[in-house]
Amino acid sequence: MNKAILIKKIINEIHQSSIEKLNIMEVCGTHTQAVSRSGIRSLLPPNLVLLSGPGCPVCVTDKSLIDAAVEILKNDIILATFGDMVRVRGTLESISDQLHKRKNIFVIYSPLDCLELAKDKPERQVVFFTAGFETTAPGIALAVKLAHKENLHNLSFLTSLKLMPPVLHSILREKQKKIHGLICPGHVAAVMGAGYFRFVAGEYGINAAVCGFEPLDIASGLLFLTKKISSSSEAAFANLYESCVREEGNETARKIMMQVFDIADGNWRGIGEIKESALVLNQNYCCFDALKKFNIRPDKFASDQHCNCSDVILGNIMPYECRLFGKACTPQKPAGPCMISSEGSCSAYYRYWEASFK
Amino acid sequence: MKEQISLSHGDGGKYTSILINELFYKYFGNEILLKGGDSAVFSIKSRRKLAFSTDSFVVKPLFFPGGDIGKLAVCGTINDLSVSGAKPLYLSAGFIIEEGFSISDLKDIVRSMGQICKETGTMIIAGDTKVVEKGDMDGLCINTAGIGVVENGYMPKKIKNGDRIIITGSIAEHGTAIVLERYKIKALGAFVSDCAPVYNMISSLAPFYKGIKLMRDPTRGGVATALNEISASAGKGIRIYENALPIRNEVNAVCSILGLDPLYLASEGRVILVADPDMSQEILECIRSCKDGENSSIIGSFFDNSSSLVYMETEAGGRRLLNTLEFPMLPRIC
Repeated sequence: MNKAILIKKIINEIHQSSIEKLNIMEVCGTHTQAVSRSGIRSLLPPNLVLLSGPGCPVCVTDKSLIDAAVEILKNDIILATFGDMVRVRGTLESISDQLHKRKNIFVIYSPLDCLELAKDKPERQVVFFTAGFETTAPGIALAVKLAHKENLHNLSFLTSLKLMPPVLHSILREKQKKIHGLICPGHVAAVMGAGYFRFVAGEYGINAAVCGFEPLDIASGLLFLTKKISSSSEAAFANLYESCVREEGNETARKIMMQVFDIADGNWRGIGEIKESALVLNQNYCCFDALKKFNIRPDKFASDQHCNCSDVILGNIMPYECRLFGKACTPQKPAGPCMISSEGSCSAYYRYWEASFK
Repeated sequence: MKEQISLSHGDGGKYTSILINELFYKYFGNEILLKGGDSAVFSIKSRRKLAFSTDSFVVKPLFFPGGDIGKLAVCGTINDLSVSGAKPLYLSAGFIIEEGFSISDLKDIVRSMGQICKETGTMIIAGDTKVVEKGDMDGLCINTAGIGVVENGYMPKKIKNGDRIIITGSIAEHGTAIVLERYKIKALGAFVSDCAPVYNMISSLAPFYKGIKLMRDPTRGGVATALNEISASAGKGIRIYENALPIRNEVNAVCSILGLDPLYLASEGRVILVADPDMSQEILECIRSCKDGENSSIIGSFFDNSSSLVYMETEAGGRRLLNTLEFPMLPRIC
């Protein structure tokens, strides 16, 4: 059967559900974007509400770390970073504001590119500023290991690497949120194993499914959750992304990650400190820590008073319910991180589903 | 000749004239240019309308699969004239070069400009070179301006509901080739810029001009941005169909890995046409019979909507808004 017909059948079946309200959270920013981009959001019945989750790495990178990157840029160094990080503001400025001051900022795609930069310019200090989750962390860990092996003393890392389960625990613990189902990120599970998100059903009695990112994957996940929520049986968990996600995950990637990083408490932008939710360089590799190298102590968590991004990524409000959405906050002039990253929920809503289109 | 551009190449003295004689005259040589006057003097034996256009090129990297900044600069202006229904005749070329730039690279760039002129029967008849101190800019940028004669009475016409939108080939080829090159991503597959002059294809459409209401080349900002501009000026909404969009699988795959949207990536050898619905099929067949036109497709149509909405019916059967590109797309993290 052709995919489009299959999706149509699945969507029709979702429409059959008689439940008054289905709140399903898609944890990951890539899912948020895919739901909008594929047009699936426009096909869902009004009783099915998709809530965004905290899975956009740029959105949860604490302001203090952006400030630290801006501070480090005051030295004569080269800063390499991922595209989306460039435009997010810290307390006062963003990295792209520094571009205008003729600082050397390189946008890279692969973490390994920072090694090339450091080798290419041995006389300069290179700092790689990176954010990510369990998906990105193994690649960063490999870059750190190679830098160590190749004695690249002019390279260091400023990282905002986070773990998914602790933030999900903190969201799901709040019973009043009434989240009925969770679409779990397939790429995180590909590294950590299919069972990584089983606790959602086990501990919280909330149905959950690991899904891929194609429209058919997402539609299937939504149907699975709708059916399970409708039935009165125990909360279910399923790996619907078996083509990429093995039960044991990717052991090699996990091993490299844990050789380089320790688990520590982490600051989440707009959310606050979450116990054991971050990956930081361990003592064998702490000489690659840019904060230590440049002697910078980021301020403790500072709250964002001006925008509602934290409410959006905690599933408390929809992006368009933020008073700034589409007015004081657009992709051109973003007020908060969710409007900047292509994975950010506000950006996805703004780009694909403007208010006038409803 | 020195191997690198120095400030003296731009001071109007000995080295400037070496550059002009050994490089620009060699590859651009034509009787108007070779007169070497302060301005090019020429006549156009026509009472028809003239088209005039200018564009500056700052692409990074300067060389990419399928072309270089020189080819892009000549094709860009030729194509702007062509989509106005004009036959491109004469161009000017202004170079701003950073001190230390490799002369051999400059030679390659100038050679490919000359090559496109030869292929299209256009001439570069005026030029300028400036050299700026090292660090004041990055490498090289080129401005071209061009003049052409509008042929066969082509003129844009009022767009009506139901008018069809045709794209002359697969989209986002140039943008994808540039991104892969810029971020040094090694992807398997054919990733070559579509940068090419479109004049020949457009002139073979002359018998159908009465059914062609508008032509536009979807360069910066890609197809989605061009459609938004067309929609705004026509005051009508546009609906396109995802499954009618010619996007090669490789391009789609690379874009989804990098988090880029092919609808917003530039093409440099494609044309968007607005066609009368009664003639759209004939026009499509004519384009498909042209060189590089085999993947041409009718991708959508106009509908009445006061808010000039551009949207896409997705393969999944849903709807997705296509806004104008508001900020440059950058590769994502995961």
